[in-house]
Formats: sequence, structure tokens, C-alpha cells
Amino acid sequence: MTFRTRLLLIFTLAVVASVALVEWLVTDSTRQAFERMETLRANGLVAQFRKEFDERGQRIVRAVDGIAASEAAVNIAISADYSPYYNEAASLASAHGLGLLELVAGDGTIVSSAEWPARFGYKQDWLVEPADWESRGAFLRREELPDGVTLSLAAVGTVSAGGRKLYVAGGQQLDREFLSSLVLPEGMRVLLYRNLEPGFTPAELVGGRAEDVPRVRPLIEQVQQRKRAIARTLGSGSASETFHALPLTGYQEDLLGVLLISSSRRELVELESALRRTGMEVAAAGILVGIALSWWATARVTRPVRRLAESAARVAAGDWGATVDSTSTDEIGQLARAFNRMTHELVAQRERLVQAERVAAWRELARRLAHELKNPLFPLQITVENMQRARERYPEQFDEVFREGAATLLAELANLKQIVARFSDFAKMPAPEMQPVSFNELVSDTLKLFEPQFAQARVRANSALDPRLRPVQADPEQMTRVLRNLILNAIDAMPEGGTLTVRTSALEGGVRLEVSDTGQGLTPEESRRLFTPYYTTKTHGTGLGLAIVQSVVSDHQGRISVESAPGKGTRFRIELG
Amino acid sequence: MRLMSSPWFAVCRGEACLALIALAATAAAATRPHYGGTLRVEIRQSFETPDPPTAGYGMPDLARAFAIASWEAGRRAVYAADENASGGRPFLDAVEIEMARPLRDQSIDLELGKADVVELGPSELRRQPAGRKVWASAPVRLMALVFSTRVEDARIREAMALAVDRAAIHNVLLQRQGEVSAALLPQWLSGYAFLFPTAADAARARTLVVGLPAAARAISLGVEDAAARPIAERIALNARDAGLSVSVAAQAAGADARLVEVRIGSSDPALALAGIAASMGLPEPPRAGSPEALYAAERALLEGFRVIPLFHLPDVYGVNPRVKGRPGITPLGEWRFENLWVEGGRP
Repeated sequence: MTFRTRLLLIFTLAVVASVALVEWLVTDSTRQAFERMETLRANGLVAQFRKEFDERGQRIVRAVDGIAASEAAVNIAISADYSPYYNEAASLASAHGLGLLELVAGDGTIVSSAEWPARFGYKQDWLVEPADWESRGAFLRREELPDGVTLSLAAVGTVSAGGRKLYVAGGQQLDREFLSSLVLPEGMRVLLYRNLEPGFTPAELVGGRAEDVPRVRPLIEQVQQRKRAIARTLGSGSASETFHALPLTGYQEDLLGVLLISSSRRELVELESALRRTGMEVAAAGILVGIALSWWATARVTRPVRRLAESAARVAAGDWGATVDSTSTDEIGQLARAFNRMTHELVAQRERLVQAERVAAWRELARRLAHELKNPLFPLQITVENMQRARERYPEQFDEVFREGAATLLAELANLKQIVARFSDFAKMPAPEMQPVSFNELVSDTLKLFEPQFAQARVRANSALDPRLRPVQADPEQMTRVLRNLILNAIDAMPEGGTLTVRTSALEGGVRLEVSDTGQGLTPEESRRLFTPYYTTKTHGTGLGLAIVQSVVSDHQGRISVESAPGKGTRFRIELG
Repeated sequence: MRLMSSPWFAVCRGEACLALIALAATAAAATRPHYGGTLRVEIRQSFETPDPPTAGYGMPDLARAFAIASWEAGRRAVYAADENASGGRPFLDAVEIEMARPLRDQSIDLELGKADVVELGPSELRRQPAGRKVWASAPVRLMALVFSTRVEDARIREAMALAVDRAAIHNVLLQRQGEVSAALLPQWLSGYAFLFPTAADAARARTLVVGLPAAARAISLGVEDAAARPIAERIALNARDAGLSVSVAAQAAGADARLVEVRIGSSDPALALAGIAASMGLPEPPRAGSPEALYAAERALLEGFRVIPLFHLPDVYGVNPRVKGRPGITPLGEWRFENLWVEGGRP
């Protein structure tokens, strides 16, 4: 992964995280604000409903008071015989807009009942209990009807005339009709649970839908237990509703019902959804812009670094004069300038090193030349001096001495010539003439040539040739010379005899050639300098053998390496192709 | 005993009857009979037959002195004076009868002078202004509960009989018209009706039905006469106190019990009892030659509570003051319009 990619990723992650955080914060704070507004709205609606409910109660109180103040009620109250009035309640209730009305004598006997006309003569003992009915206002009551029990919003008025008393108990059923008659704000609905039976009875839920029953049941049960108002949000999504469950108690503070005022959260949910969608779109746009800016910024930031890396790569590839253009004064500019100084210094040092190495090489060459030339020169000098001495002191033996001396001179001159030829060969290494070469054959042929020397040096030669090896493009003469040098080197490394192993292996489109011996091995320093021209660890030799080997391998675009340790032998490995 | 069973004695027992007789006498004294005029009568009943009824009470009674002149089944009938009537031509030229008129409308028509003779129910009777002329028969209509054979458990029937608070119904719903009774024959006819107890006993009724399955305690009570429905509702309420579940239905057919009215068809107690038994699907009682035998026969009929007598009710009519003459009905509720005349001639 490139530096720019990493930087881009970091920038992108930072942008995404920042945008997500901002989006979350904005959405959350907005949602909370809307929730507060929704709560206020719901509370307002509940208050409005309570007002409407109270207004209904007041209306009932006014109706009941109107009946109690009517002449008809007074006539009934003062009548000695109530029987003619058993049907009065129905007409009075109808005239005053009440669904329920009972006229009850002072002793609690029902004179007339609008909701249950047949109940005349029965007792309503709760009315004769001490109570200030005038100031109580409307209250909830469990009402018995011919077809069952219901819940009513009732009020009681009293008529006192002629020393007699008449109770006027009127009200309205809290049923679906009552609920539907309430003026409700938009998005609001009202359900009533009539707590007339022990536990939860689904049939007593008025005004709701069938699917409301399982939803509101836990809420109703909580109100039944705690007897206080509870607000809950039920459902999910746009179908969710906030329910305010209000306990409805009777005049004896007994829980007679639970009023469920539902406020739809559809608008809020849709608003939140739109806000979330907009936020997501803005966030996506922000992220895209952020990525684009990051792309541009990373490109701008990493361009000098990339140039620096490219220059470093060029330096690594050998172009030591590579430099970086930089005009900035920031850290990257400083780095670029430092790099340029470094490459200039490297070039200078390299030139100095090359010069030093060249001098050292010349010195080494001179030393080797001096050493090589000194060996033949000394016998030449001795031979010439012997010939001069024999001419002067022993003329009769001069011919003999001359013959021997001439032979020695010729031999040493030949030696000198050979030395000069070797140096000349190294200087004039020809370009390889490439052709398919079977390395297995080359190894076999070369080992055969050395068999006498192996025997003389007590060296056992082994070969491990890969039969899969195919001919490889190479110069056969130069590769033969390489192999010969390595074999000679190995023989020299095993003065006490040993084992020489030559191994070939097939590479993909190439060959690996290994020559190993069981000689005394090399130190790390010797291994490092082994291919330096004119360097040798032997007392004889020019130090050019391995240098020639490396030169040939290099001309074949190959690689040569050495593995060695003192006392553990040496292995040369050549890979071509 | 014979004196007590006399219809006239029974009618004139009450103070109201005495007042009626006095009013009639005063009216008769104030005007003289004359011919002419049409008597406008409204009734609740509707006869849907192609021809006018010839049996029963009411319109069939007119055949003595009037002949049918116009017949609109279920709506209207006009009877014209029969010049050749055996008792002589009636004073009235005609009698117009409008059928299927609700009691309340009849009362209004009487008040507005659109009708001369109307039926009065308990509520309408209460609303009549002071001095209104009213004809009332003896209590000749028996109101009773009749159980179908489906209600096999006699305890249910007995509990029902014990549960009904006849006094409250009589005082309030019937406005004290007629008599509370647990007998088939009215007191004025048999003289022993008071021997049948009428007091309600809800506690005992509950003990009778306690332990019975709910299905057995559920009874449908059919009542076809809308005017009698409040009575049925009250009976249902009383029954509930006794642990019975009574539902009131407008259709009597198929109900477990019915609230019915049976008319006393004869002033002979034995014949009346036989008629009642026949009307209610009871076995025919043995012919009784003595009050004791009659009592025994009636008691036998009521054994098992298959029929629960509740009230004996009179026929009550409101009469326009322009109608003159003796009361136009007999103690048995028969129409006797031939001796009536109307002030002001033809309306």
C-alpha cells in the first residue's frame, strides 16, 4: 500500500468519522428537539381533551341541575304518590340531552329510571349516603343496565320541596358514541377501558381497533396496578402512537376506567425520517467532497515524497547523480535538499573510492607484476652471472654452462611470456558468443580432462547432473574456462586431497552450476574479496582466475556467489538464464 | 256469595265506579235522547280479515243494532243504524270505527274532539283531565304468564311465580287499574281469588333455582303487545333478583314463556274458567257445581305453575262529553251503543 493510499485512507476515515459524528449530533439534537415539541403537543392535546372531558362533565351537571330545578321535578318531589311519574325520567332525560337519568325518592327508592324503566321501586342506597352532591360535580359511576354494566359520567342534583327530597341522578354513558362525540384534535384518538370486571377484559375496550387490544393491554394493567397516569409510546415507525393512560376514578376513588388518549407520531416519524434522509445525503455528499479533497491533498502532499522515492530508487539502481527538485521550505523541502546533498556526496565519495580503488589496483598489479616478474628475473640474473663467471674463470666449461644457461634463460623467458599473456587475456576478455550449450556434457568433458590431476592431488571428483537440464544459451569456451578455473581453484584448496563435487540443476529457462570442495574453506573477509582482481590467497597465481570467472558470468547476465566457512569447504554457485 | 259474584256489584264496588254512575245519571238527566249523529270510535286492535269480525267482543257486539256499511280491513269500519233492529232503531245514525290507533293517539284525538270513544291505557287514564267521562268494565281481562312445554322444570316456573312483584306493577305500570291476582277467575266472579297468594318472595324463589345450570335459568319471555312490554321488562327484572335470566322478546312464538291476556268470556264462573283453560292450553276443568269444586278445579289448573295469573284488568274507555246516554259498555266489556246519542247531531 502506497503512502498516498494510506494517507488517503486516513483522510477518508477521518472525513467519514467526522461527518458521521456531526450527522449523529445534528440528528440526535434535532430529534430530541422534535421529541420535546411532540411531548408538548401531546400534553397540550391531553390538556385539551381533559378540558373537553371536564366540559362534558359540566354539561351533565348543568343538565342535572336544570332537571332538579324544573317544575316537573318539584312536582314529583312533593307528590304523595310517585307512581304516576314512573315514566318521567325518560322524557326529562330526552329533553335535557341526557342518556341516563333516574329520579330517586328521599329514601333511595327509584321513582323513575330512563335507562331502565322497569327498575322503579328499587333502591339506590348510594344516593342517600351523606354526600355533598351539589359541590361534587360530575363523577364516574358504574351503571347497571338491562343488558349489562356500563360506565357513566354522572352528576347528582337534589330537589327539596315541602319537606321531601328527590334525587336527580343523570349522566351519559361512556361508550363509543360518547367518545366519538368528543371534539378531538387532528391525529388524536381516544380509547376507553371500562374497568368493570376483575383483570383485563378485551371487550371492555371501547373505541379501539382489534389490533389495539394486545398493544394497550400492558399499559392498562399498569394503570390498574399503580392507579396513576402513565404515558408510553407503542408501536414502531410511522404507525407508532404515544398513549397517555389516565385513570378514571369514581366518587369513592375506585378505579372505574382507564382513558387512553393516543397521539399519532406519524408526522414526527416522517419528519425524523426526512431529516435522517437529508442528513444521510448531506453526509454522503460531504464524504464524497472530503474524499475528493483528500485525493487532491494527498497528491499534493505526497508528490515530493514520491519524487524523493523515485530519486532514491534511481540511486539504488546506480544513478547516483539523481536529484529531487524542491522549492518548498517545509520539512519535505528540507528532506529533498538533504537528499540532493547526500547524492552529491555519494557521487563524490564514489569517485574518490573509484580513484582509490584504481590506485590500489594499480599498486596491487604492480606488486603482482613485480612479484611475478621477480621470480623469473632472479634465475635470469643468476644464469647470466654464471655465464659471465664461466667465461671469465672457466672458459673450457663455458659452452656447457652456456648451453645450460641458455636453456634456463629460454625457460624463464617463456615463463615471463606466459605471465604477460595471462595479464593480456584478462585485459582483452572477448564478448561471449552465445549458442545452446549442454552443461551436463560440458561438466563431464571438463572433469575428464582433469582426471590425471585429480589422481595426482588425491582428489575424488563427483558429478550430480540434472537429467532434466536443457541446453542453455552460453559461450561454451568461456564457460569451459569458468569451470576449469573453479576446478583448479578447488584442487588448490585441497592440498591434502578431498572431494570435488560438480552439480547441475535445471532452472526455469536456465541452469544452476555448483562446484564445491572439502578444502580448508575461507574466512568472511576472504569470501568478500575473493572476486577482486589480482587478489589471491595462494602463494602462486595471478589472482585473476576468479575475477575472470566473475567477468564471464557477468557477461552472460548471470550471478555467482560463494558459500564458505573455515574448515568446512567452499561452494561456488553460478546461475544463468 | 251470589251477590258478591254479580258483575254490577263488582263494578260498583269502587269509589270510581260510583262516580261514573253518578256522572252518567247527571248526563242523562241533563239531555234528552234524540236520533242522529255518528259515534266516532278508535280502537287499538286491527282486524285484517276481509269481512268484519262476527265473534268476540267490541265490533261484533254492534251487530245487535247496526249493520256494516263500509269495511276497510285493518283501517276503518262504518256501521249504520239498523232500522229493523230487534230492540228498535238505535239513536245513532252510524258508528265509525278507526282501527290500529295507538293508545296515545287515541287519547290525543279524544282531547282534540276528533274521537268520541277511545280506549285508555293506564298511562292515558292518568293523564285524563278531571271530570272526563270514563267507561270501565269489570276486570275481565286476565293477564298471565304462560309457560311452554319446553320449560319442564317446575322449580323454574314456581320461582318465576314467586319472583314477580305484582303490587309494584299494579301500582306503577297499571296505575292501580284492575286487581292483583294469582287466580284465573277474578274475585268479582269467583269470590275466592284472594285465596291464591300474590305476594312476591324473591328469597324463596332464589332457593328454588340455586344450583340449576345457567342454561336452565335462562328464559325468553315473549310479549307481542307493545303496551305490555314494560310489564314484561319488570317481570324480567324481578326474575333476575331470583336468579333467573329472562330476556324479553317481541315475538311470542318460540318463546319459553308468554305474557298473554285472556278475556273472561262468560259471567258464569265455571264457563269462564273453562274458557280461560281452553285459551291457555290447560286441561279442561271438571264441571263444578259449587264454589268449593270450582276452587278445587282452578287450583288444579294452576298446579305446576304452567300458568301464572298476574292481574285482572278492566276495559276502560274515555268518552267525549257530547256522548250521552248510559255507559256504552257492559260490566263484561260488551259494546252497547244502541242507546247512546250525541249532542250536536252530525259532527
